[in-house]
Amino acid sequence: MNKNRSKEYDVIIIGGGATGAGTARDCAMRGLSVLLVERHDFATGATGRNHGLLHSGARYAVTDHESAAECIEENMILRKIANHCIEENNGLFLTLPEDDIAFQSQFVDACSSAGISTEIIDPKLALRMEPSANPDIIGAVKVPDGSVDPFRLTMSNALDAKLHGAEILTQHEVIDILKDQDRVNGVELFDHAKKEKVKYYGKIVCNAAGIWGHNIAKFAGVNINMFPAKGSLLIFGHRVNKMVLNRCRKPANADILVPGDTICLIGTTSERIPIEEIDNMYVSKDDVDVLIREGVKLSPSLATTRILRAYAGVRPLVAADNDPSGRSISRGIVLMDHKERDGLEGFITITGGKLMTYRLMAEEATDLICKKLDVDKKCETANIPLPGSDKSDETLNNVSQKVYSVNGITQKSAKDRHGSLAHKIAKGDENEDSMVCECEGVSIGEVKYAINELHVNNLIDLRRRTRVGMGTCQGELCACRAAGLLCESMEEAGKAKDDLANFLQERWKGMSPIAWGETINEIQFTSWIYEGIYGLKPDNN
Amino acid sequence: MKFDNIIIGGGLSGLTCGIKLAEQGKKCAIVSSGQSAIHFFSGSFDLLSKVNEEEVTNPLESMKALPDTHPYKRVGLDKIERLTNDALHLLVRSGLNLTGQADRNHFTLTPMGVMKPTWLTLSDFTSFDNKDSFPWKKAVILNFSGFLDFHTLFIKDGLKKFDVQAQIKNVSMKQFEAIRKNPSEMRSTNIAKEFDKENAIDEFAQKANVLSDGFDVVILPAVFGLFNKTIADKLKEKIEKPVLLLPAIPPSVPGIRTQITLRERFQELGGTYLLGDNVEEGVFENGRLLEIRTNNHGDIKFEADQFILASGSFYSKGIVATHDKLYEPIFGLDIEGDSDREKWFDEKIFNDQAFMRYGVKTDQNFRAMMNGEPVENLYVAGSVLGGANPLKEGSGAGISLLTSLHAAEQILK
Ligand SMILES: Cc1cc2nc3c(=O)[nH]c(=O)nc-3n(C[C@H](O)[C@H](O)[C@H](O)COP(=O)(O)OP(=O)(O)OC[C@H]3O[C@@H](n4cnc5c(N)ncnc54)[C@H](O)[C@@H]3O)c2cc1C
Ligand SMILES: Cc1cc2nc3c(=O)[nH]c(=O)nc-3n(C[C@H](O)[C@H](O)[C@H](O)COP(=O)(O)OP(=O)(O)OC[C@H]3O[C@@H](n4cnc5c(N)ncnc54)[C@H](O)[C@@H]3O)c2cc1C
Repeated sequence: MNKNRSKEYDVIIIGGGATGAGTARDCAMRGLSVLLVERHDFATGATGRNHGLLHSGARYAVTDHESAAECIEENMILRKIANHCIEENNGLFLTLPEDDIAFQSQFVDACSSAGISTEIIDPKLALRMEPSANPDIIGAVKVPDGSVDPFRLTMSNALDAKLHGAEILTQHEVIDILKDQDRVNGVELFDHAKKEKVKYYGKIVCNAAGIWGHNIAKFAGVNINMFPAKGSLLIFGHRVNKMVLNRCRKPANADILVPGDTICLIGTTSERIPIEEIDNMYVSKDDVDVLIREGVKLSPSLATTRILRAYAGVRPLVAADNDPSGRSISRGIVLMDHKERDGLEGFITITGGKLMTYRLMAEEATDLICKKLDVDKKCETANIPLPGSDKSDETLNNVSQKVYSVNGITQKSAKDRHGSLAHKIAKGDENEDSMVCECEGVSIGEVKYAINELHVNNLIDLRRRTRVGMGTCQGELCACRAAGLLCESMEEAGKAKDDLANFLQERWKGMSPIAWGETINEIQFTSWIYEGIYGLKPDNN
Repeated sequence: MKFDNIIIGGGLSGLTCGIKLAEQGKKCAIVSSGQSAIHFFSGSFDLLSKVNEEEVTNPLESMKALPDTHPYKRVGLDKIERLTNDALHLLVRSGLNLTGQADRNHFTLTPMGVMKPTWLTLSDFTSFDNKDSFPWKKAVILNFSGFLDFHTLFIKDGLKKFDVQAQIKNVSMKQFEAIRKNPSEMRSTNIAKEFDKENAIDEFAQKANVLSDGFDVVILPAVFGLFNKTIADKLKEKIEKPVLLLPAIPPSVPGIRTQITLRERFQELGGTYLLGDNVEEGVFENGRLLEIRTNNHGDIKFEADQFILASGSFYSKGIVATHDKLYEPIFGLDIEGDSDREKWFDEKIFNDQAFMRYGVKTDQNFRAMMNGEPVENLYVAGSVLGGANPLKEGSGAGISLLTSLHAAEQILK
């Protein structure tokens, strides 16, 4: 069935990563009518597949001054507006005996010229500050790095966009860009839930589809020279380090260890891949071996820490227009007005950059959109906190103490996850407090809130919103409980069974590259429970 | 400490072997570090449910198609039929109530509403002769308010294909108020503890009788009878309609009861059962295992004429995997399996995973191989053995029961 929507939006934004969600928020705050479309779920592209490092910019200070300066500026802004998504851990740049200590002073100079504060720390003191660091270090520099939770950050932007009137469609894939001669005027979408095509119209279409922006541009008949760079990461089952640990040398493989919540992450590798492979994110045995080998140099205890999952993402890098070979790749923000570049009106692309700089990217894109629409409104996203960020909001806090979950652990975890919005997690009867996921402290109330309010279509979405199945039990039994709850809100229980099977497959994808030790034991157990006892099979339902 | 036989691992294999040996007058000890697979049991003992992707009707017949390396083939198909009878009788003598036969699989209903072929089923559960029909037309599915571990909607959906009209109803029991206060306590074993008391059963049966008015069958989670072995039967007497119990999320209440029943049988026969102790290493001489040492007993050595290794598969740590190898952690026995981890897995979780077939290497008499030579008095039984994917085949309990009886017979010879 084909449908056409008659409403014309000011802007249609493609891509529910941090950039798309941030642009939707900015546009909505400036009073535009906005439609945000995402083919799967929020943060399923590079945004959900990175380190979650709140860069101070130090990593780029020596090699890329401009990126470094952007990072530190955005770093300070995010601390203010996205407090609930950020851990202000600080970071250490460690020099190992095999590294050149002379690099340290060059590094410190470059940082200060980019506006990044540094402090050279005596190695002994550094080890007291960060006992997990390699005891052989010969140098350490402290910088204002931190951690950022990309899922929460993207959700908060999407929620705020909604609060400002934006409409959001997840599970809607752009399959074509609609044009009227040399002007783009809408998108054709495939609705994965209803399995139907639908057209939406807008004055401007903003391509914020990350690496997939390549395909979107093609639909519009223009060419963007993207150079997909795959990076793999490992998540460890507990938090080894308090601070972010980096190697004090030129950026290389596996030289960042980022703590976040109860876990930590090592990454990343970097490998050019053909554009055809961007949807096929596997982590090879070699990737895993390199990450462990290098990671252990930063923090030796990683050798004996359980690895929970492996995953990979693709950096949306863009080659300069005059360089099709891709030798001069930009790591900075790329904003294209296709009117200027290709003579195509009503279509812009915002890509490149980093998670860190999503807000700035959104600002630049929105400025251009406003200019095209002749709207004269200033960007306010650097000053107005995201919903959930505002810890000083006493009334919200008081309300939340009273109304959401009475139980200690659940209350704390939910609040960590949803910030001051946690008060929305309704307290119905005491059954709502029952625990769905014990190791991550997720209650029924929280699951229901996510299902009702946060665009949850399946268990994998639910995991992104609530961490059900993210902890050390890796979704063995909690997935089944959550599936039961999700099932209540789905029309068909048969679909919920398929969903459970998909969820297990998705988890397996992250586990199989690192399935030894406890992980292989658990996977054997999980298979016995779901396939052996429950009789769950992908084709049974 | 000196025994005739020492068994490492107190799961289904270790207990079966121990009971058999103790029944024949052997002085036995079982050392077991922790929970076993029976804690998670479905309630059915599988013998052989699938060969070459085809569902098996007669397990004894279909075994002929198994590869020669399969544990059943290595035991010898001429012995299998007798061993299946011995296994059934041993379980019944121990106090388990079972239905089923080795030459014809019956079916049980899973909580996803799928009919699964199997060999022996505990009397708690219902066995079906036919997988395409369901004897009742109108079913009421009862659950306890706040209990997340029973999937009523999945069951209801599964019953649709049998043209069964099912309705879900919740029951509140004041007995659960205390456990409901703590959000992680509403689990099957805690519920079962309350139901071990007869007055709770009376009260529940009354409610169930009211709620099941107009229905042909009452479907309930299998949370009855943890320590109390007769309560599940009492419940069925007190509920006027036929009762169909289905597994809840593990741990499994009937499974734990089975483990207790078998352990008690072993102890009544004079066996020594050491739970929570881990066997750490052994002392070998001239190809024989002389003694073992355990974690709790430090320098006290355990000596025996014969030893049986029944330490389970990966999940019980009978076999251990690291990023670059597989090993048997107690003695360093030879392993059947690939050391390259890329060979262990298939990228699709529901496909046949090679690692499920890995285990300790043995000679044709099920004696463990160490550095290419058999250890004269160390037998291997149960899921620590390789050569089969018990999950895909539906042969888990069968392999455990039959190989442990086989090992016991070698020792008794
Ligand atoms: C391994 C790795 C580590 C990184 N580490 C960091 C770090 O520590 N800190 C940092 O700041 N940055 C980091 N980055 C960079 C950062 O992840 C990205 O720059 C950023 O997330 C890009 O966000 P985005 O919203 O532009 O793109 P994406 O997050 O990729 O979003 C694009 C979205 O578009 C959707 N989409 C695609 N096609 C369609 C279609 N046809 N219709 C509708 N929707 C579509 C996708 O599903 C996706 O959700 C890292 C990147 C990688 C790969
Ligand atoms: C979750 C699950 C559910 C299953 N459900 C069924 C089912 O419903 N039906 C079916 O037919 N099959 C089922 N199986 C298959 C099951 O593996 C076999 O049926 C059988 O129970 C295995 O018994 P076992 O004694 O060989 O091993 P386990 O039951 O694994 O027992 C091994 C024991 O050895 C102990 N141990 C290990 N190392 C040491 C040591 N160093 N020192 C001391 N003790 C040690 C362990 O703690 C454990 O108690 C299931 C398996 C699993 C994992």
